[in-house]
Amino acid sequence: MTGYVLRRLVFAAFVVVAVSMLIFAITSLLPANVAYLILGQFAPPEQVRALEIKLGLLDPIPVQYWRWASAAFVGDFGVSMLMDRPVAPMVGEAILRSAVLAGISFVFIAVVGVGLGVLAAVKRNGPVDHGVSVATYLGIAVPEFFWSIVVILLFAGYFRWLPASGYEPMDKGFWTWAHHIVAPVMTLVFAHLAHVSRLTRSSMLEAMQSPYVTAARAKGLPERTVVLRHALRNAMLPTITVLALDVGRLMGGIVVIETVFSYPGLGRLLVFSIQSRDLLTLQAGILLVAAVYALANLAADLLYAWLNPKIRYGRSVA
Amino acid sequence: MASSTSAPPTLQVRDLTIRYRTPTGTITALDSISLAIPKGGALGLVGESGSGKSTVGLALMGLLPSEAQVAGGQLLLDGSDLLALDPEARRRMRGPKLALVFQDPFTALNPSLRVGAQIGEGLVHHRGISVSAGLDAARRLLAEVGISDPAAVADAYPHQLSGGMRQRALIASALACEPELLILDEPTTALDVTIEAQILDLLEGLRAKRGLSLLFISHNLGVVRRVCDRIAVIYAARVVEQGPTAAVFARPAHPYTKGLLAAIPRLSERRGRLAAIPGRLPDLAAPPPGCIFAARCPFAEPACIAERMPMREDGERAARCRRLDAVGAAPWPVAAPAPHAARAEAGAPIVSARGLAKTFHLRRGLAALRWQGGRIVHRPVFVRALDGVDLDVAPGEVLGLVGESGCGKTTLGRTLLRLVEPSAGTIRIDGRDVTGLDARAMLPVRRMAQIVFQNPDSSLNPRKTVRELIGRPLVRFGLAAPGDVAARVAALLDLVQLPASYAERYAHQMSGGEKQRVGIARAIATEPKFLVCDEPVSALDVSVQASIVNLLADLRDRLAVAYVFISHDISVVAHLADRIAVMYRGRIVETGPTAAVLAPPYHPYTAALLSAVPDVDAPKRDRIRLKGEIAAPTGSQGCVFESRCPRRIGDVCATAMPPTRAPAPGHAIACHLETEELGH
Amino acid sequence: MAAASPEQASRALRPARAGRKLPLQLVVGASIVCVILALALLAPLIAPHPWDTINVRARFLAPNATYWLGTDDYGRDVLSRLLVGARLSIFMGVTATAISLAVGIPIGLAAGFFKGRIDEILMRGADVLLSVPPILLGLLVLAVTPPALWKTAVAVGFVYIPPMARLTRSVTLALAEEDFIQAARARGESTAYILFREILPNAWPPLIVEGSLRVSYAILLAAALSFLGLGAQPPSSDWGLMISEARSFIDNAPWIALAPGFAMCLLVIGVNLVGDGLRETLDPRLRHRVAGKG
Repeated sequence: MTGYVLRRLVFAAFVVVAVSMLIFAITSLLPANVAYLILGQFAPPEQVRALEIKLGLLDPIPVQYWRWASAAFVGDFGVSMLMDRPVAPMVGEAILRSAVLAGISFVFIAVVGVGLGVLAAVKRNGPVDHGVSVATYLGIAVPEFFWSIVVILLFAGYFRWLPASGYEPMDKGFWTWAHHIVAPVMTLVFAHLAHVSRLTRSSMLEAMQSPYVTAARAKGLPERTVVLRHALRNAMLPTITVLALDVGRLMGGIVVIETVFSYPGLGRLLVFSIQSRDLLTLQAGILLVAAVYALANLAADLLYAWLNPKIRYGRSVA
Repeated sequence: MASSTSAPPTLQVRDLTIRYRTPTGTITALDSISLAIPKGGALGLVGESGSGKSTVGLALMGLLPSEAQVAGGQLLLDGSDLLALDPEARRRMRGPKLALVFQDPFTALNPSLRVGAQIGEGLVHHRGISVSAGLDAARRLLAEVGISDPAAVADAYPHQLSGGMRQRALIASALACEPELLILDEPTTALDVTIEAQILDLLEGLRAKRGLSLLFISHNLGVVRRVCDRIAVIYAARVVEQGPTAAVFARPAHPYTKGLLAAIPRLSERRGRLAAIPGRLPDLAAPPPGCIFAARCPFAEPACIAERMPMREDGERAARCRRLDAVGAAPWPVAAPAPHAARAEAGAPIVSARGLAKTFHLRRGLAALRWQGGRIVHRPVFVRALDGVDLDVAPGEVLGLVGESGCGKTTLGRTLLRLVEPSAGTIRIDGRDVTGLDARAMLPVRRMAQIVFQNPDSSLNPRKTVRELIGRPLVRFGLAAPGDVAARVAALLDLVQLPASYAERYAHQMSGGEKQRVGIARAIATEPKFLVCDEPVSALDVSVQASIVNLLADLRDRLAVAYVFISHDISVVAHLADRIAVMYRGRIVETGPTAAVLAPPYHPYTAALLSAVPDVDAPKRDRIRLKGEIAAPTGSQGCVFESRCPRRIGDVCATAMPPTRAPAPGHAIACHLETEELGH
Repeated sequence: MAAASPEQASRALRPARAGRKLPLQLVVGASIVCVILALALLAPLIAPHPWDTINVRARFLAPNATYWLGTDDYGRDVLSRLLVGARLSIFMGVTATAISLAVGIPIGLAAGFFKGRIDEILMRGADVLLSVPPILLGLLVLAVTPPALWKTAVAVGFVYIPPMARLTRSVTLALAEEDFIQAARARGESTAYILFREILPNAWPPLIVEGSLRVSYAILLAAALSFLGLGAQPPSSDWGLMISEARSFIDNAPWIALAPGFAMCLLVIGVNLVGDGLRETLDPRLRHRVAGKG
C-alpha cells in the first residue's frame, strides 16, 4: 500500500511538471511579441530590443522555462502586463470562486448521478432506467453553452426568478450570493449528471451479473442485502474513477459557464487572457487547472486503493 | 452405498421442461427430465457442454435467468413442490434447505468482502444470530472443510487465497445453514488434478459425516464415478440413461453412454485408437422428432429417427433407447489406425534443448522500489518459469509433457519454437543451434517446427476464411504456386478429415473440434518435422477430444512428424506419447519411456499425480495426497517439489539439487531418494 | 465446463453475422444523420435566402412565412445560415475525428504491440495530455495563432488523439495475447504483417464505434471553441458562433439562439445513435448472452 501511494504521488508530480513544460512550449510559440504588447505597436525597434534583453526573451527557451518554473514553484507567476497586477493573487482569487462553483456542482452531480445510476440498474427497464437513458442522450447531445442559454431564457427571461448573469460576494449576504450562483450550478449539473449516472449504471449492471452476486442470492439473502452489500460495494470502485474523470470535465465546463454567466472565476480569466494574449496569466491558470485535476486523480486513486482489498492488502496466502 | 430405497427421496424432479427465449428462437434447455435423490444419496448428473446440466441446478435453486421459463414439471423437495412456492418462500429455502457450490471459485466469492463474513452471512440472515457469532461459525466451518488456519483465512480477502482454498471456503459457505441437499456444479473443473483430489476427499468425508444428499453436476466421468452412487447421463436436454454408478460404468446401456465411456483415454490401455462420437449436438431450437441421439448413433435404424422414445425402466436402471435389447452388450465401434508410415529410426534428435531457462520479471527497475521499514528498498518480483530444462525429441517421436498449471510446460513449448526468448540455454533444431538466429535465418527453422494451440477460438483469426488461414503458410514459405493453393488447402482439409467446402468458412461457423482440425491443418501445411501441441484437446468435450487425439495419432503415423505433446491430463499424454516428461515448477522431475514413467519406481510427484487421476474403471486403491498447492517458481537451491513432497527426507531436499537416478536406460528421476526407495 | 470460457472469449472476436436485424438506434440515427447531411450538401441549392446578405429592414423578424426561422440582428435568414452552418459542423466533426484516428491508431498499435519502453513513453505522454481538460487544451492550442476554422478542427483532432491511442492500445494488448498472433510469429511473419493483417482487422469494430462517438464530441467541442470566439469568425454561420452572437438578444429574439442549438442537438443525437447502434452490431461483448448454458 505505501509503495502504491508513493508511486501515485510521484506520478502526480510528474504530470504537473510535464504539463508545465507543455504549456510553456506552446505559449513560447505565441506570435504576439510581449515587448510590443508592453510598449505599443509602434515602438522603435531598438527600444523593443532593449526590453527583450531585459525580460530575457532572447534567452534559449529552456533557460526561460527554468526561470519561469523555478519562480512558479515558490508561488511567483510574474506580473500581468495587461492588468498591471501580480498574477498569483489574481489567479488565486479566481480559482477560489471557481472552486465554490465547481464544488457545489460536483456534490450534486456525485450524489444525484450515482443515486440515479444505481436505481436505474437495480430497476432495470423501469421508469428511472428509461428516464436515465433519455437524460443521457440529452446530457451528451446538449452542449453546456446551450444549456446555459436555455437556463437563462427560462429562469431569467421567462420566469424572472434568477439574474441572467453576474456574481455577488458572500459579504453582501448569503441569499444574494446564492441567488446568483443557482443558475450556473444548475447548468453544470444538467450538463454533467447524465455522464455519471450512465457509467454508474453500467458498472452496477456488471456487478449485478457477476457470479458472486448469484452466489449471494444462492445463500438466500434478501435482494436488498444482495444489492447493497454485494453489488454496490464492488460497483463503487469504477464509479470513483468516473467521478475523478468528471472533475476534469467539470473544469472544462466552468470555462464556458463562467463566460456565459459573467462569473469572475478562473475559466473566465483564462478566456480573457487568451483573447488579450496575457501570457503569464494563461500559463499560471492552465497549470493550476492541471494541478487540481492531477490532485483529483490522485485522491481518486488513493480512495480506490483504500477501498480495494486487492491493493490495500497485498497477495499473501493465509 | 445404496442408501435404503424405501426412504422417501429428498429430491424428486418430475418431467421438468425449461425453455430459453433467445434472439434466434426458443431453445429447449431441459426436455421433461426426471431425477430422484434418496436421503443421503449422491446423484451424478453427467453431460457434455450444451447438454443443459447446469440448468438443472439453477432451476432447483430458483436462480434461473429471466430468459428462462419453466414450461412444465415438478420439483419436489421432501415431497413439496418448489415450483408452487412464491419467490420469497423459495428464497428462504436457499441456504437452510438447498445450497449450491459454483464451478469457478475465482469469481464466485465477492472480492471486497472478507471470507469469514461471506461464510457467516447466511447464518446471520437465516438464523438471526449476531455478526460475531456468524464469524465464529465461519471459523468452525473452515476448520471442518480442512483449512488448517481458519482464523487467518476467515480474516482474508478472496484474492489472498489459492483456488483450492477458495473452493473450500465456498463449500463451507454452502454448508453453513446445514442444507439437506447440496448441489455442486462442476466444483473441481477449474482446479488442478492434485487439488481436485483433495476436494473430492473432502466431499466424501462431509457426505458421510453430515448425511448430505448431493447432486453432483459434471462433465468428468471419473470424478462422478468417485463421488456418486447413482448417475444420470444427460444429452441435448434429455436424460438418456440412469442407474447405479457401478452398473452403468460396467455395462452402459444407452449408445451415448457407451460412446462417452469408450472415448476416455485410460492409463491402462495405450496405443490403438479411442472411440470418437462423430457429428455434433442437434439444434435445440428445432430438435429432431425421434431419438435425440439418432443422428450420431452407430446402432440407429430408421425408426429411431422417426419416433420419440420414452424412458425404458428395468429395475434400478433406465435408458431411453429403442434398440436396447438389440444393441445389448455390443461395444462402441472404434476406427482402425491409419496405415503406418515407416517410423523414423531413432537417430540424432530433431529437437534438443540444454539448460533452458526463462525468467519473467513481474516487477523490476523503478517499479520494484518499495517502502519498507522507513526506507526505500529494491524488491524485484520474478518468476522462473523454466529453470534449467534439458530435453531431446527423436525424429517421429511423441514426447508427452505433463504437469499442473503454472509448472512452465506452455512456456517450454513456446521457448522451443523461440516464440518466447530463453533467458539462458541452447535449443538445437535438426542439429542447428537456433538461439541466436535472426528472423531471416529462423525462417527455414520455422517451416520445420510448428505449433497447435489449446484454445481453438483464440488460435484462428476470426476475420479470415479457412482458405486464408491454411493457405497463408503455403504462400509464406512458397510451398505452392498461387494457382495451386486452393488444391493444396483442399488436400490438407482432407488430411484432417474436413470437407473441402469448409475452405470458405470463418471460425465462428465451425464447432470447437472443427476449429481445432483447421488449426492442425495450418500447422502441418508447412510439412514440419516437429510439432508442439500445447494442450490441443483440453478445451474440448470428451467425445470430440477422442477424435482429435485419434487424428493426431494418425498424422504422426502418416507424416512421421515428432510431437511435444503438452497436457495437464496424464491419461491423454500416456495414450499418445512414446516418452513422458513430468514437469514441476520449471523443472523436469522425471522423464522416461511411457511405460516406465507410469510404473514404479516413480518420482514422488509423478506418484501423486497418477494417484490423483480419477479413474473411470475402478476406484483407487492407495491415495497419495499432496499438501498445499503449487506456488510460482522463483528459483530454488534444492528440489522444487520439496515443500509439498510427502516423502521429504530432510533439509537436504531444500538445500541441495537432487541427483538424477536412472532406474533403467532412458529413465531419469531427479530425487534425493535412492532408486530402490522410489520403487515403493 | 472447460469449454465455457473459450466460448465466451470467441464471442468477443466473432465478426458480426450478416443478415441480422439492424438495431433500431442505428436506423433512426442513420436517418437523422443522412437527412442533415443531404441538407448540408444541398444547402446552396435549397437555402431560401442568401446566408450572408445583410438586410437592415428585415432585422429581428420572428419566424414567419418568408423567413421560416426568422432573421437575426443583421436581417439575415436564420434557416439559410443554419443549412450552410451544418456543413461546417459536419466538416469539423469528421476532420477532427479523422485526425485523431490517423494519429491515435498507429500510436496505440505501437504501444500495445511493442509494450515495454515504447509503451511507457507513449502512454505517459498521453496521460499528460489527458490531464488537461480537452477544452483547455484546445484553448491553449488556439491561443497560439489567430483563430481560423481549420485550426479549430486540427486542435480538436489533436485533443482527441490520446483517448483514441489509449483505446487502440488496450484493444491491441488484448489481441496480441491471442494464439493466432503466436501462430503468425511461428510462421516468421513480419511485424507489419502482424500489425496490419492480423491485429488491425480485428481491432476495427471498437475503433469504428469509438470514432463515430468521437464525431459528436468533436462537433460539440468545436462549437464550444467557436462559442468562446476561438473558432470560426464572423460572419461565418458556424452554429457555435451563431449561438454566441445571439446571446445578446436572447430576451427579445430567442429564435436566433435556439435554432442552431436545437439543430446541433439533433445532429449530435443522430451521430450518437449511430455510434451506439454500431456498438450493438459490431461489438458482440455487449450483446445479450445466449442462454443455452451447459
